[in-house]
Amino acid sequence: MFKVKAFAVRNIKELMRDPLSYIFCLGFPIVMLVVMTLVNESIPEEAGMTIFRIDNLAGGIAVFGQTFIMLFTALTVSKDRSGAFLIRMYASPMRSADFIGGYILPMTAVSAVQTAAAFAAALIISLITKTSLNILGLLAAVFFTLPSAVMFIGFGLLFGSLFSEKSAPGLCALIISLGSFLGGIWFDAEATGGVMLKLCKALPFWYCTRTARSAITLDFSFDEFLLPLIIVLICGTAVTALAAISFKSKMKADLS
Amino acid sequence: MTAVEAKALVKKYKNKTAVDSVSLTVEKGKLFALLGVNGAGKTTTIRMLSCLSAPTSGEAFINGHSCISETETVKTEIGISPQETSVAENLTVRENLEFMAAVYGFDKAKIKKRSDDMINLFSMVEVENARAKTLSGGWKRKLSIAMALISEPKVLFLDEPTLGLDVLARRELWSAIETLKGKITVILTTHYMEEAERLSDRIAIMVNGRIAATGSLTELEKISGRTGLEEVFVEIAERSSQNV
Ligand SMILES: Nc1ncnc2c1ncn2[C@@H]1O[C@H](COP(=O)(O)OP(=O)(O)OP(=O)(O)O)[C@@H](O)[C@H]1O
Ligand SMILES: [Mg+2]
Repeated sequence: MFKVKAFAVRNIKELMRDPLSYIFCLGFPIVMLVVMTLVNESIPEEAGMTIFRIDNLAGGIAVFGQTFIMLFTALTVSKDRSGAFLIRMYASPMRSADFIGGYILPMTAVSAVQTAAAFAAALIISLITKTSLNILGLLAAVFFTLPSAVMFIGFGLLFGSLFSEKSAPGLCALIISLGSFLGGIWFDAEATGGVMLKLCKALPFWYCTRTARSAITLDFSFDEFLLPLIIVLICGTAVTALAAISFKSKMKADLS
Repeated sequence: MTAVEAKALVKKYKNKTAVDSVSLTVEKGKLFALLGVNGAGKTTTIRMLSCLSAPTSGEAFINGHSCISETETVKTEIGISPQETSVAENLTVRENLEFMAAVYGFDKAKIKKRSDDMINLFSMVEVENARAKTLSGGWKRKLSIAMALISEPKVLFLDEPTLGLDVLARRELWSAIETLKGKITVILTTHYMEEAERLSDRIAIMVNGRIAATGSLTELEKISGRTGLEEVFVEIAERSSQNV
């Protein structure tokens, strides 16, 4: 465990000293929260559109933020792989599992901090817009969005292991777009229905936002919360396992 | 006692034989220099000895442990400073050292002590709190070497340690390396004859992936009939490349 810890400490320091991480991981989700709230304010009440209302928005933004954690993971891993640093670490007693753990753990922590910060901003917005937002629900959501955080971090590790510093961000952009549209972050998939809803349901992202939104409203029913959470857990495990295998086999190839 | 032993190491890439049947032995506490023109196979040899590259054939042992089947043990006993300087850019000098020490499982007190030792040995006090990415090339190189040494390795591999260092920094680093003599086995590659002459107990001259000659400077002078390492090197390198 000390090797995972040492590497995790290094990764978190590298991350915290990169100004971009504050802009993307903390700033951007909060800015989107404010912008979308302004959009919501200009939608007439008769339209009956609640997707940008803070209680719906908060869960979406939590998942949206996680997509940027994915981008950061991919960047960190691909950058490490392109330089001589990782190669030198291969000659140390660090095993592939130590590297993988050392990447995933701090990123998960950063993701939790990000979600908490976004929710704190959401709480302030809810007070200003006089919308009700349950603090207990927000706290529960910080916890129950962790599996989806791990899934996105898994995607980041996967792309960072397999692709270069140049192409990994492109693939992340693809997931960011897929995640925000087919995750139902920016529109109400269920109200839209049809092919769109089917597409959403075929990909894991929609279940991420659904878990988050249900937790925020303290709706822990099977259909609204438990089932999506289980799906996220399964997908998260699969993606992370795939990422770990990819990292390990790339490491092996580098050492051949 | 033998610290490093290579037996007929071969490394082939697609249609290129980078290292062609290299055998060498280095006694404990001695400093062994690998000389050779660009592309001679020095880095590839070091990579195979430090578990960073699997040999196509042949085998290597560090303190009797196989670099192929006992990599776990070997990795705890070696330190390597790669040809390309490699440090964690956003960490300070001290943090880089502490990180390396932590990877080897040292406790807090020992991490602190070893980091202090390295900072003193390489005279890095003035930059210890500077981020690695703000360091000049020479300072980064010193840090990279210090990171290889912090884990108290029994065998240290230095791939062109003084590349890009100014005359003063180079001499300073030589003194640091000289303090290791007798305690740590060192294998270093260099393009500077003066460096090999001053530091090494034995020298191997690599030409086209093969070791063309091995011995102390006096022995190599005898073999080649020349005096001074530079003359010896040119003679042996030219003679062997004509034979190919
Ligand atoms: N990964 C690789 N794939 C293909 N060829 C390689 C690879 N690594 C090294 N080589 C080739 O093997 C040969 C030996 O390279 P090596 O880096 O060991 O030389 P060197 O003696 O360290 O040279 P230099 O003094 O320039 O550092 C070179 O011809 C190089 O092109
Ligand atoms: Mg080299």
